[in-house]
Amino acid sequence: MGSGGSVGKEAGPLKTLLRQHTQSALEQREFPIFTLTCFPPGFLVHVGGVVSTRSVKLLDRIHNPDEPETRDAWWEEIRQEIKSHAKALGCHAVVGYSESTSICEEVCILSASGTAAMLNPRFMREGCLDIGGSDHRLSRQPHPGMVGSERGEGEVSSTWLGFEDASPPSCGFVHIPYDEFNMPFPAQLTYCYHCRRQKVPDVLFTTIDLPAEAEVTGKGCLIQARLCRTKKKAQGEVNATSISNLLPFMEYELHTQLMNKLKLRSMNALFGLRIQISVGENMLLGLASATGVYLSALPAPGGIQIAGKTPSDLSYDQHISTIQKRIDDTIAKNKELYNIHPPECIEEVVGSPIPDRQRSSRLFRSTSESSDELSELDLSHGKKDAFVLEIDDTDAVEDIQSLLTDAPIPAGFYSCNTEVMPGIHNWTSGLQMFTSVRVYRLSNANLTNQGLNKIFTDLCENLLKSLYFKLRSMIPCCLCHLNFTVAVPEEELIQVAVTAVAMSFDKETQQAADRALTRGSGENEEQLQFSMELCGESTISNNQPTAKPSGVPESAMVHSSRAPSVDYGSFADRCSTWLELLRLKAHTIRRGSVKTSRRTQLLAHSVSSSERCSPLPEGRSRSLRSTRSLPCGAPVTVVKMTPLSFLPGTRIVKYLGIINMFFIRETTSLREEGGVSGFLHSFIAEVFAMVRAHVAALGGNALVSYSMKECVFMENPNKNQAQCLINVSGDAVIFIRESDQEAIPPLLTSRQTSGTGADGTT
Amino acid sequence: MSMELDVFVGNTTIMDMEVYQLWLDGLTVSDAVKVRMDEGALLECEANAEVLTSDTMDQFRTFQMCERLLHSPTKLGSQLLYQIPAQNQRILIERYYEFDSVFAREVLGKKLSKGTKKDLDDISCKTGITLKNCRRQFDNFKRVFKVVEELKGPLVENIQRHFLLSDTLARDYAAIVFFANSRFETGKRKLQYLSFQDFAFCAGQLISYWTIGAMDSMMEDMDVDLEKEFLHELKDLKVLVNDKDMMDQHKILVCAALRGKIKVYKLMEVNFKNLSRALINLASKLTHTKDVRDLFIDLVEKFIEPCRYDRWTVAEITLFLTHYTNAAHCLGTFRHQRIWDRYMGVIKSCILQMYHE
Repeated sequence: MGSGGSVGKEAGPLKTLLRQHTQSALEQREFPIFTLTCFPPGFLVHVGGVVSTRSVKLLDRIHNPDEPETRDAWWEEIRQEIKSHAKALGCHAVVGYSESTSICEEVCILSASGTAAMLNPRFMREGCLDIGGSDHRLSRQPHPGMVGSERGEGEVSSTWLGFEDASPPSCGFVHIPYDEFNMPFPAQLTYCYHCRRQKVPDVLFTTIDLPAEAEVTGKGCLIQARLCRTKKKAQGEVNATSISNLLPFMEYELHTQLMNKLKLRSMNALFGLRIQISVGENMLLGLASATGVYLSALPAPGGIQIAGKTPSDLSYDQHISTIQKRIDDTIAKNKELYNIHPPECIEEVVGSPIPDRQRSSRLFRSTSESSDELSELDLSHGKKDAFVLEIDDTDAVEDIQSLLTDAPIPAGFYSCNTEVMPGIHNWTSGLQMFTSVRVYRLSNANLTNQGLNKIFTDLCENLLKSLYFKLRSMIPCCLCHLNFTVAVPEEELIQVAVTAVAMSFDKETQQAADRALTRGSGENEEQLQFSMELCGESTISNNQPTAKPSGVPESAMVHSSRAPSVDYGSFADRCSTWLELLRLKAHTIRRGSVKTSRRTQLLAHSVSSSERCSPLPEGRSRSLRSTRSLPCGAPVTVVKMTPLSFLPGTRIVKYLGIINMFFIRETTSLREEGGVSGFLHSFIAEVFAMVRAHVAALGGNALVSYSMKECVFMENPNKNQAQCLINVSGDAVIFIRESDQEAIPPLLTSRQTSGTGADGTT
Repeated sequence: MSMELDVFVGNTTIMDMEVYQLWLDGLTVSDAVKVRMDEGALLECEANAEVLTSDTMDQFRTFQMCERLLHSPTKLGSQLLYQIPAQNQRILIERYYEFDSVFAREVLGKKLSKGTKKDLDDISCKTGITLKNCRRQFDNFKRVFKVVEELKGPLVENIQRHFLLSDTLARDYAAIVFFANSRFETGKRKLQYLSFQDFAFCAGQLISYWTIGAMDSMMEDMDVDLEKEFLHELKDLKVLVNDKDMMDQHKILVCAALRGKIKVYKLMEVNFKNLSRALINLASKLTHTKDVRDLFIDLVEKFIEPCRYDRWTVAEITLFLTHYTNAAHCLGTFRHQRIWDRYMGVIKSCILQMYHE
């Protein structure tokens, strides 16, 4: 750390150098775009912010609809635009990238969004993975309680400090990648609250998961912005134009809502941001979901200041001050709720002894908006410290209403749309993946924008409330990876589908963990392990036998030897960039993977010995099923499902391949099957059952990275008919329990490796 | 605005056992919501009426979908559609097959047929149990009956094996099956005072001691029918009343044993022959199906009512029956000790169960 100071001063030229390095590696790629949202520590050097683009297209204009050329060209355009957005932010890559479409009749909205980022050239350059580094990465799999865990925290961090980039790992990624004197948009910069050397923005929006190395104060929470806009029914070009015209305003409003809600929760960064715009015949729906956190490296957010344009009327003033008070109260309450108590920060400019909100002289504008009107307002108002909401504006009234009508989350619950909630580490094995679908019919056709907004907001809020109520037996618990999908299947219908996993955690140990410095948990490494293991298998097949659990019968072996090819394909789908890179490092990795497979073998032994997840050969499971008199529950393998990449308290010992299935179900006896709800309920239950059966057939006992990519539901009650299409996917895996030390949070064990090891042996 | 569709599906099927009970009770969704509200469900998790309705609907739908699996509980454990933890499966099954003894008392001994099913609305009115609930319980009886009727081996074990019920519940079902099979008369006004548990106890006694399976556990035969041979042999007991000497001897022995021990001694002495005759006649008649059906009404009319009229206490009856049974062993010319014990053992415990002071 001693050298840190000097490096800090040379940050400018170093940054340029770094950029050159990385650029050269990335420039060979047409699209330096990663769909991954989780990265190994040090991979992200800087994060610029969210880049997104939308394009409205007419599908009937494709000359050759069967050929992909036109569509490819559309997407190419969009990716180019994303790339140039990232460039404008001083970044050379986009991470956490995703594309989506919304189609209504012949109009199609193509959307893409990602996070502009600067990546570590080490990972990009050829031949960069030195032996030491990769060894570390292999051994960095989280294995709390495992005897023989050979890693130490200090060792690892020193490795990462050894990179060219001098930024400390825990705050480097929030440092601005762009030139502070030539900023792409107006933003208020301050020195990083962590290292005090480099500049950081006041607010950061990203589409990626919270990096493991990020330091977070308190806990995070799900933040949603919801918006509904009516539009006239139209055809073709006219329709496309009116949609195009609406889009920027919707984006702006969603953004403002997100910003307000973020401030209301006293947080300063959003992760996993996903903005979905769905088009219907006579309306557009916008839903933005993200997980808000307080990044310790960023400045504390200012409060929200309500401003009236004409502060002459007395009752009006009173009205404003009531709202102001409510907002202030809510902020205070939220700080308590999310445990956000940032350490007293040393201001460069000596602060006045006034409350938080007023002390922070940060800017009040989000990064991507033009700030003309509000800066004027600031002048008139005089309190330059807070985020100002102008109440005369009808939209603002709406904003404030929605701000304050968001129901507080019930005690004992947390929610986020990222992999895990920052600040919670000690998960128990309690797990419940679920899908909930709701379709609302708007009975009144002549609804105003406000009316629609209210309905849409209530719909989402009520859905969340229902989820909390349903899962109340799991308290304390966190809903992770809350994934909302909205659609307008028909005129006057709004469909919302949610898939998430509820995971309970241990309150007692949580408190202990809270006291410890909050650092990232192990899910990053978990993903890393995935790639490493696979790569090892694909490069050296003679490594296979060692990975075999000797206790597992013959037919199970057949499965496992077949598995690598499946793995390979799925992996290639997911992150070909890495694969390519890693294959070049086959030599290095072989050394690592021997180690891995030895461990695999060891663990596989315990698989076969534990009754829970025995990968039964097909023949035997059939015979089991035929013996009717067995006590209930015994013959069926319990298969866990989760949208996350890991299962808490367990170790994934084998990836068995991707499962990607489409189901179409049709009924001509809708009423007899319990109406639309009965039909869809049993269909989804059957989809789950089929997925579980597939996993079990592969010898697995869990499905990770589960997602329901498509759920299209159509009905015709008059004809007593309904149809539904569902597409689900995920990775089948074998996991084992982390023995009896399950309850020990990874955080604690990783911090006291030796201590726990001793406990384990005694 | 109205909710067109609303579903929640968990990888592990979520089942709220309180809501399950409401569903079993045959409540409608809106009634169930009311009950839940009264029970303070709204205080949890900041729920509102809408949330509660949605949850209740969803749960009811889940139960409805699982119902067909509950009809053959062994399948619940091996089906793949719903991932239900074993613990919950047990509760689901047990609760589904639990019944109201008031209801069971009503249909006890009746033929489990369509005709009886039609009468369920009357029973529903009389007992205050919802018709839906009555139907479920009736169908459960019928289902269990149909499955075990033709099976060999011990009745209780058969029920347990096929329906995965707890021991107590399986015993109750055994009683119901037994009664339905033999069609014992239980509906007479004089029998109204007897509860389901009284009858279930008697059924247990009959199953344990008077059926074929009872005597020879190796015999792979049905537990449902009384042993014909035994019933035939009961005719031999007639000697106890037909042979005047033996009867007097019997009376003397019993009186000697009871003198000074019971308050109703005098009445007993007077009535001894009547009581003894009642019990022995009952035994000798059991070869006729009709009389088997009237077993309980006969016991009440011929023995229990006279005793109750004379204000016997349970303790006194116990003493009397014990000595009455034992005294027969001391009769030198009485040769049917084995039959006598088998008969009197059951009769004694039935009478004691049925005798409400």
